[in-house]
This record gives sequence, structure tokens and C-alpha cells, in this order.
Amino acid sequence: MPQSRSSSLSSSNPANAPQVRHLKALGDDTWKNKVEKVNAEFFHLTYGTIVAQLCEEYAGDYARVNGELFQIGYNLGVRLIEDFLARTALPRCDTFLKTSEVVSKCAFKIFLNLTPEVAHWNAARDSFDLVFGENPLAEHVELPPGASGQLWFSNVLCGVLRGALEMVQLDCDVEFVSDTLRGDMSTDIRVKLNKVLRDEIPAGED
Amino acid sequence: MSQASVPGVANDGTGAVSQQRQYELEQEAMPKLNRTVFQMVLNEIIPMAYAVEVSKTVQKDETGEVAMGSLSLESTVPGDDNTAARRMRSSVMAVYNLAKLAEEDEDKYNSVLKRIESLGTSIGSKISDMLIFAKNPSISFKNMDLLSVMKFICRDVWKHVFGKQIDNLKTNHRGTFYLIDLDYAPIQDFTVEPSVLEEQLSEEDLQIYELKLVEPFLQFPVGIIKGVLHSLGHPLDKVVCLATYADKPKEKSKVGGFPKGINFHVQITNN
Repeated sequence: MPQSRSSSLSSSNPANAPQVRHLKALGDDTWKNKVEKVNAEFFHLTYGTIVAQLCEEYAGDYARVNGELFQIGYNLGVRLIEDFLARTALPRCDTFLKTSEVVSKCAFKIFLNLTPEVAHWNAARDSFDLVFGENPLAEHVELPPGASGQLWFSNVLCGVLRGALEMVQLDCDVEFVSDTLRGDMSTDIRVKLNKVLRDEIPAGED
Repeated sequence: MSQASVPGVANDGTGAVSQQRQYELEQEAMPKLNRTVFQMVLNEIIPMAYAVEVSKTVQKDETGEVAMGSLSLESTVPGDDNTAARRMRSSVMAVYNLAKLAEEDEDKYNSVLKRIESLGTSIGSKISDMLIFAKNPSISFKNMDLLSVMKFICRDVWKHVFGKQIDNLKTNHRGTFYLIDLDYAPIQDFTVEPSVLEEQLSEEDLQIYELKLVEPFLQFPVGIIKGVLHSLGHPLDKVVCLATYADKPKEKSKVGGFPKGINFHVQITNN
């Protein structure tokens, strides 16, 4: 498996273009035809209310708010992945590069109707960033004074990714590295692969 | 869904698109996302409310060394941001458990319910505001009497938040209303898997247990109802709303759905 990874990752590669196009088509089609939709504003408003309540409850202890949001996301992620696999019937990703494209072109598209850009691969090819232009959950949000620099408003997304990827045997660290709410140029989530969990892979696979 | 399929628009004579159609087009053009996600986030409010409760108790209880032990042990691990993220996760991990919530003492249990309701209230009142500002021409908020407010909740609010309307609305025309939702959407998939329980329960006891576990989820729509009423001029202290289980008529019960409907009893006192 490591061999195949390094070879197919060897460039930001045109070789993968058809595959990526296919994933994009799958994501778009599923979103268009197989998904019951709701106004995004309802969701944003609900999420914002939850974050506001947490900030109040924890009286400005934003590390705990981040943790709570992450936990909510984790709980969502471990269940959303089932829904995702049922809808798309996608097979196991053979490379982490493919995983990144599935996350951006299919998962984000189907659930949030967004397609973050995959960027900033590291040299070891086990870490990438998902780049959003604006913070996707915070269209009308203004952080309270003191929260800037501490609160990751959309931390729920990290939890979702962490939970969902864990369910498909990918142990990843997921965290925000920048946020337009904090005055950064873009909103970036970093996904770093720690290891591929082995327990469910039959012996002899390697 | 082309225009031709909408009678009355194509044959309008004047050629003007009706107000209703205009509204629908505007709504269609709004950014959308997956209802599954919205629904799941709403449901996640309940375990979150409990997690906050437990986490606050741990914080207050300075002498509780056992409870604090695991936390402080974690925090002595020196580390970069990654371990920090994990530490935060593990500190709230253990409390995600509805079965435990059902066994909490009354004070704690009620405090969790109150937290769920208050979130429902603020979400309800904001959603109500949004629906009002959307200017749906088929709803008029001018001189709106209580019955129309209730209809607004049953039709519009419920449809937007839970994806379906309330099944039945009853009133005595003196401030008492019964809103009955036979298939309250967020709990339809819930079930207790008998094999995970320590002791074997009879079918009847199993259902009682199941209903008990689901009870906190009913506090959220209670909050929504109160929030909408609040935003339309009925202060929270003038409204009582209680949710109870209601039996489903035989022909309505679906295989695999939740066995009970929900009855919201709303009582509004005037000044």
C-alpha cells in the first residue's frame, strides 16, 4: 500500500484528473438528486445559537467550548459516515490523496453543499489542508471580544472529520489552522494522517 | 419543476408572476444544505446539554478527586496542539450517555431539561423571526389571533424545522391547545437494542425504558413552541407547554418507526 501511495501522489497530477472529475460528478449528482434539503440559514442560525450558549455556559473558557464543539462533531461524524457510504457506495480509498478528494468533492458537497479546496500537501504526503474562502458556518457571525484567537467557531467540522475518518480506519488529527473570523485570509482545516488502523484489514493484505 | 407545471402562472394573463410564485422562487434560490445534517445537529443538543451539566459539576466539585484525577492526569502530558485537541475530546467523552442521564437525580435531570428547552426557545424565536422576514404572502401577521399563531407553528415552523407538519391541532378557544405530532421526526429512528442491556426486560418494560430515555428529546420542541410564541408577543411566563406521549391510532403505526406520537399541551394565559 505505501508503494502505491507514493507513486500516485508523485505530482499534483494530471493522471488523477479523470478520477477527480468522477468524484466531483458523483458528489454533484448525489447532492442534486438524492438529498432532502433545508435552508442553510436555519442551520447556521441553529449552530450559532449552540455556540453562543456554550460560550455563555463556560463563561469565556473557549478551550472548553472548542472541545465541546469537537465532541458534537465527533458524535455526528461517526454516524454521518454510514449515511455517506450508503448514499455513495464508494469503495475504500487506496490512497490518502483520494481520501482528500472524496472528503472535499463528495462529503462536503453532499452534506453542506460546499467544495473546499484541497491544498498544502506536506512532503510526506500525509497531511493536507481543506481551504474555505469564508468560514462556512459563520456567515453572519461576529466573535465576542476576547474570543478572537481562542474560539474556533466551526470546530464542529474538525470533530466530524475526525469521527468519520476514524470509522473508515484512518486515524487522523484534524484542526483549524486559520479562520477568516479571526482576520485570516482564508479558513483552513488541517487533516493529518497518523496511521491507518489495521484491525479490520484481513491478514495478508499487505 | 418547470414553470409550466404551475397552473395560474403561465395563464396569468397579465404575465406577472404571482407573489406566491415569487416567494417560492426566492426560497428555492436560497443556499441549501442536507436536512440529515440539520436534523442530527438538533438531536446532538441533548447529549451536549448533559455533557455541559456534568462538566460544570466536575468543575465546581473541587474535592471530587476521583472525578478530577483523570482530567489532571491528562493535562500533565506535555504536548503540541494535537494532543491538546485530543485532551479536550477525552475530557468530555465519558459523559455522552443517555442512559446515565435517565438515572440522574431530579435536580440534575431538570437542569439538563431546562438547558435543552432554553436552547429550543432561542432557536425557535430566531426561526420565527426568519420566517416572518421571508414574507411568505400566504401568512399575514397583521392582527394575528392566537389560533393563527398556533397554525403558523403547526404548518410553517414545524415544516421548516422538522420537515413535516403537526398532524392535529385541537383547541377549546380559551387559550388551551393540543398539538399532536404522530411521527415526531427527530426520534423516529430511535430504539433500544435489548442485547446491550444488563438485564433482560419484558417487551413492556423495554418500551417504558425506551420512552424514558427519549423523554429529554421532547424538551427541545417544547422550547421551539415557546420561542415562537415569545417572538409573536406571548411572553415566556404566560405560556405553559408540556409534552407527553400519545398513542397512535392503529392504522397509523408504521413498522420501524417510534411507537408513540407526541402530544404538546400548550396553555396560554392572557394578562
